[in-house]
Amino acid sequence: MTQSHSILADQIRTLIRRTSKPENLLDATEPLPADWEAVALSLFALQYETVPAYRLLCDARGRRPGGVRSWLEIPAVPTQAFQELELTAIAPEARARVFHSSGTTAQRPSRHFHHAESLALYEESLRPWFAAHLLASNTAFPQGLRPRCLALTPLPANAPHSSLVHMLEVVIQDFGGTGSGFTGRVGGDGAWELGLEATLDALESACADGIPTLVLGTAFLFVHLLDALSAQGRSFRLPAGSRVMETGGYKGRSRSLPRAELHAAIAQQLGDPKIIPEYGMSELSSQAYESGGRFRFPPWVRIRTIHPETGLDTAEGEPGILRIHDLANVWSVAALETSDLGRRHGQSFELLGRAAEAEPRGCSRMTL
Amino acid sequence: MNLHQLFLADLGPELQLTAETLRQASFAVRRNRNEWLLRQRTRAVIEMIAHTADQWLEPENQFRILALRDGPQETGWSPATLARGLDTFFRSITVESLEGLVAQDLGDARRLDDFGAGSAEHRTGRTSLAVGPELLVHLTAGNLPNPALFSIILGLITRSAQIVKCPRDASLLPRLFAHSLAATESKIGACLELVSWSHDEWNARELEDTLFSEAACVTATGSDTMLADVRPRIPSRTRFIGYGHRISFGLITKESLSPYSRKRLVRAMADDITAWNQLGCLSPHAYYVEEETSGTAETLAAELADELERREATEPRGPIGVAESALIQSRRSIFELRAAAMASLIERNLNRSLFFEPPATVRLWASTESTAWTVVLNHDARFQPSCLHRFIELKPVRQWSEVLRFAEPFRHQVSTVAVAAPDDRLPEIARQLAHWGVSRICPIGRMQEPPAAWRHDGRPALGDLVTWTDLET
Repeated sequence: MTQSHSILADQIRTLIRRTSKPENLLDATEPLPADWEAVALSLFALQYETVPAYRLLCDARGRRPGGVRSWLEIPAVPTQAFQELELTAIAPEARARVFHSSGTTAQRPSRHFHHAESLALYEESLRPWFAAHLLASNTAFPQGLRPRCLALTPLPANAPHSSLVHMLEVVIQDFGGTGSGFTGRVGGDGAWELGLEATLDALESACADGIPTLVLGTAFLFVHLLDALSAQGRSFRLPAGSRVMETGGYKGRSRSLPRAELHAAIAQQLGDPKIIPEYGMSELSSQAYESGGRFRFPPWVRIRTIHPETGLDTAEGEPGILRIHDLANVWSVAALETSDLGRRHGQSFELLGRAAEAEPRGCSRMTL
Repeated sequence: MNLHQLFLADLGPELQLTAETLRQASFAVRRNRNEWLLRQRTRAVIEMIAHTADQWLEPENQFRILALRDGPQETGWSPATLARGLDTFFRSITVESLEGLVAQDLGDARRLDDFGAGSAEHRTGRTSLAVGPELLVHLTAGNLPNPALFSIILGLITRSAQIVKCPRDASLLPRLFAHSLAATESKIGACLELVSWSHDEWNARELEDTLFSEAACVTATGSDTMLADVRPRIPSRTRFIGYGHRISFGLITKESLSPYSRKRLVRAMADDITAWNQLGCLSPHAYYVEEETSGTAETLAAELADELERREATEPRGPIGVAESALIQSRRSIFELRAAAMASLIERNLNRSLFFEPPATVRLWASTESTAWTVVLNHDARFQPSCLHRFIELKPVRQWSEVLRFAEPFRHQVSTVAVAAPDDRLPEIARQLAHWGVSRICPIGRMQEPPAAWRHDGRPALGDLVTWTDLET
């Protein structure tokens, strides 16, 4: 019998709480929680029943809940399918929120629908993994001291369809100290812009107050900031313990810098904060963070890399198409095939880049 | 057998090229050109070229053997694909075809030898002589070898000293061809230099700028970004001829779809798709199919899929990089999803509201357990560049004239349109394509077989190189 979404969401919440205890999170063993696969299979059965567009795909591939015995057999949906199909179990009238992928206005964006319950799970999924990477093992944050969180993106009210901005809103609410906020804006063409003055003011007061600061933004917003700082001949020394979360992607909004160069410039102009790259997308409910050159999702997410010629899993360290199985995607589809290439090492991966612009129209910038 | 060291590019990456080396090389090839090549007659030069080309067609030719032995490793083409591409090219290089090219572009086959006059010049009492650039520099691209080889041939015909710059990873075939010319006549080798570096080497710009300052004429083949970078760096006295990136497609009229014509048509389409694995500017990205009765394009697509499967056995595509293969897989998966979803919807008579917008009907045929070939029947007729490596879309249209509207965003990038049309319709179709901006129209199956005299991107390739000297008496 198929369980309801709420019951499964509860199971996944339990899984998240159990596996996200600080002592379990960062020891980087191979924690396939014993019940992970059982939950994944139940979730597949539920999504097959309740997401009609997903059922069509599964039927076409001849994979149905009764016959699927391992999570490895659960059909993965290409993330581009979120541009064309309603991959959701949420009824139209209950869709309170939709997250779009970045895209030009001419291009159909991905659509990932949410309601209060799915957003609550999204938030529960993002908190512990964010905290583990941006806040933990930082002696500059003694108990009770909240860092200042400075998001370079526009305000949530101005970017209601951005999952990144929603994530940052939750981060600021739950972890941010005084002076936290958003400094970006939305330009006349609907694209995100750096709010230069607000950002400079915020950086200045962070330095003056000596409070460790988390600067959070997309790569292209950092490039705009660094270019402006160079032009003005300015630089900052952020207080000790400050960190930068950079989420990839230029989307044609600035010159593209090789990552090493971007990180070197951030180090030089912002006073050598620790830089933590983030990997996320609107189609997911969990994020990966990089440390030591490799990204890692939380334990309730499993990854695979698939060889594009054979469709089989690649060996460890061999490049392949990245597949992500995110159990926090309860009301949409958990098994996703990205357009990104990666090399897997256990459950962590090196990101090798897009499959050469899967969309020839050009993966472009976020517009509203 | 291995190549002995004759050109700078033969030394490989161990050689650290400097601007001074390039200046010395320019001096040497210019001197040799002035002392020997300039004094040769057109006919003699053409005979040497044609003889060399003829040799390449012999199975035991040492340069051909080397190309087929080492080429697949460097280029990724299977030996069969490479052999077919080289054979097609060298068969087109004959005394007749090259003399025809000179006569077409310059009015007479001897205009590079002596002052002469066409009838119009005759009336005004003038004669004229065409003179090639003293030093011709070619920046070649790596996607396929024939443009580089043909550039060398053009430069020989104009009696120019030449320096050919190849990408680091695509110098083998130009070098083999240059060696084969030198084997025919060693003095040709003395008027020719091949160099190679990759654009990210530290002194790449300095080396290029040195070549530009030495050259009388520069030709460059590459992306529009590359050309935009090169163009402003060419000295104003130096002639610049840039060949940017082009795309091509096919057009099949409804009359060409009868069961009898279809058999030949399908083979011809497969010839175009497998030639150089679709990687050239003249290779098809898609075929538009005029469809009178629904289903004919689908039959054609299914037959093409069968044909590509057969070709894979005799002329395999060969391995490609993981990023290219991932892109094919990614495109396939979205078409597969659309096709599957549409099929189930129709079968179960569900409504289409699962889609945000009802998609155009799609069917997919694909090689199993590889990305070797893919055929997509896509009723969305908007032109979309293919991800190549034998990935082709067939797009049904009601009338051929709709095609120009669907391809409009790519209008200024189109080189060749291959057309299958009855004799009474072809002239009107060709006229409209010409006015739209297409520079070459050819039969299906011959897209990658332009004749030696073809006007590259609509310009006289040889005529653009020369400078005329008028003698008024």
